[in-house]
Amino acid sequence: MIKIQNVKKSFRGNVALQDLSLQVNKGEILGLLGANGAGKTTTINLLLGFVAPDQGSLHINELDVRNNTAEVRQRVGYIPENVNLYEYLSGLENLDYFCRLAGLKYSRSELAGFLDTTGLEGAAHDKKVAEYSKGMRQKVGIAIAYAKKATVYLLDEPASGLDPLASNELSGILRKLADEGAAILMASHDIFRVREVCDRIGILRSGQLIQELAAADVTANELEKLYLKFMKS
Amino acid sequence: MWQIIVNEWQYYFRSRLLFSISAGFIIVLVLTVILGQYQSGIQKDKYVNATDHLRGQWEKIEAMNPHSAAHYGTYLFKPGGLLNSLDDGINTVTGNVLRVEGHVQNEIVYSEASQIKSVSRFGRLRSSLLLQYIVPLLLIFLAFASISNEKESGRLRLLLVQGAKLSQIIFGKILSAWLYGLSLLLLVFAAYLLLNIDSLTSATLIRSFFFFVAYALYYFVICGLTVYLSARWQNATLALTSMLAIWILWTIFLPAILISYSEAAYPLPSRDQFKTAMKEDRAKGIDGHNPLDARNKELQEKVLAEYGVDSLSQLPINYDGLRMQADEDYGNIVWDKHFGNIREILTQQKRMIQLAGIFNPFLSLRNASMGFAGSDNLHHHDFLLQAENYRRVFIKTLNDEHAYGGSKTGDWGWKADNAFFKSVPAYQHKPRDIGAIVQSYALDLGLLLLWTVVIFALMLTSTPRMKII
Repeated sequence: MIKIQNVKKSFRGNVALQDLSLQVNKGEILGLLGANGAGKTTTINLLLGFVAPDQGSLHINELDVRNNTAEVRQRVGYIPENVNLYEYLSGLENLDYFCRLAGLKYSRSELAGFLDTTGLEGAAHDKKVAEYSKGMRQKVGIAIAYAKKATVYLLDEPASGLDPLASNELSGILRKLADEGAAILMASHDIFRVREVCDRIGILRSGQLIQELAAADVTANELEKLYLKFMKS
Repeated sequence: MWQIIVNEWQYYFRSRLLFSISAGFIIVLVLTVILGQYQSGIQKDKYVNATDHLRGQWEKIEAMNPHSAAHYGTYLFKPGGLLNSLDDGINTVTGNVLRVEGHVQNEIVYSEASQIKSVSRFGRLRSSLLLQYIVPLLLIFLAFASISNEKESGRLRLLLVQGAKLSQIIFGKILSAWLYGLSLLLLVFAAYLLLNIDSLTSATLIRSFFFFVAYALYYFVICGLTVYLSARWQNATLALTSMLAIWILWTIFLPAILISYSEAAYPLPSRDQFKTAMKEDRAKGIDGHNPLDARNKELQEKVLAEYGVDSLSQLPINYDGLRMQADEDYGNIVWDKHFGNIREILTQQKRMIQLAGIFNPFLSLRNASMGFAGSDNLHHHDFLLQAENYRRVFIKTLNDEHAYGGSKTGDWGWKADNAFFKSVPAYQHKPRDIGAIVQSYALDLGLLLLWTVVIFALMLTSTPRMKII
């Protein structure tokens, strides 16, 4: 579970987040919509412990992020906009390396199983990542988080630059992870993808959560209108 | 951390560019060791042959006046140590051949640089050149982007989320690059040891060990500083530029500046000044109150009194031998005084250069490398001292024979026989005591170790404050 309470964060006088509070429960996907500079990535960096809040608290699975950064990171799967893997390693080798860093040793078949779960074709497992498309890299990124048995996933623009098919596959994977009990926070610009995959949607503007609603309560078109209205106002 | 090192090495092996550069460089390194060994071998053979030839000529002297033999003299050749093939230090510019004769202490001549134009212009390609200049450059190019690339690509965050600590990543990268440097170093040593397997002694192995340690410490400093700058700066170009500037400063500018400064602080007399001062002291007396004529008169009176006779013609011995030896003894005192002064100045210069290692670890490496290879100024002066000591024994043996061999004063036609000439001992060079060498270069090794500790401490203290995003 992810819990953010009254968090404020500024960088050299520029306010990035103002009194942000939100919660993502187990089995739930929360989509954070917002323009560039709205505070989406800062929220994720705060949850990963890369920056400290000026005020407020952040908890992941009841653990305070600031005081338990290492333990929190053990439970979190992080998928950035661009999963930059080691190009001289294959997808399988990358997965193995990142798992070993997390103290996890899997057999080849187990590693292949994780990649299969994310939909990466078996023929691609042993190819060098240099030959991978962005979507394939994202899948390896998800496999890294999945193999870690993460209970919380933080995704920063995960579908950016993906083709529609890859983007659709990603949605399916995220839904599956949530159905298995993961709490997922996904920052995105993609209104339609967020509407499709998330349970709840939050709209961030200038570091403030100005609207939170259930995805089921709005259509994609309504969400787009609402989003544009907030952005223009 | 082990995982990080293994991953880095996978990159070293799988990057075609790096693999090609490494393979090419390894070939050059091994060829340089073989070439160095070959050249040292040729030089050693030449010296052995020349020494044998000269000794053979000496032992073939059937009959000759000992004083004529003292002018006939002999030549001594500066022996090359086994490790000279890795680092020839100052050997190419100092002479290798010393003529030993009566009355004068000759200068060492026939340096390699004076004989071979290419050596005088470009120096000789030795392993030390590659190990001191090129390997550190390779390590800089290997490590400058190690952390900045991870930062720029955002992969550093992924690594940290996976549980790796920033300090582990940084030390993993340092150790990976350092092990690469050590591998090249080990390769050089493996090739060198294989080529010299029959000639290795415990002293050579100890020298090799410290030689290796000095380079290993320096490589750690280079790798540590490069990775530190890579982590400190936000982009790789800045890290590379900073490290190259340090490399240029350490290897080109600071050595030249510090050496010039030490020469200005402790100036050596010019060759002319040195020779003139020696000549004057020998003729007029060291303190200007004991000229040659007075010394002769005093000796003559002493010898006549000792034998209880009134004139030189009554002496049962040849006074000329005693007089010449007395002149030699006085010359030796003069030489000791002036050579001692030079040695003292050189020692002060060396100490200053050694202390400059506080600012520049490259100087410490170069000092230790030459020192343990036996191609530094200390070894050179040790040879000059041993050669001079031999000259004294050699000339004294000849003068004693002239005095006590059976001739009378003024009998310049008298000749010693072949048995005597055969009995004159040949020059035997004694290698410097390894304990003394270690002591001489403990400061350089200590400063390299200090740099290593400082780099280590810098990492430990700065890592928690480093920006990740």
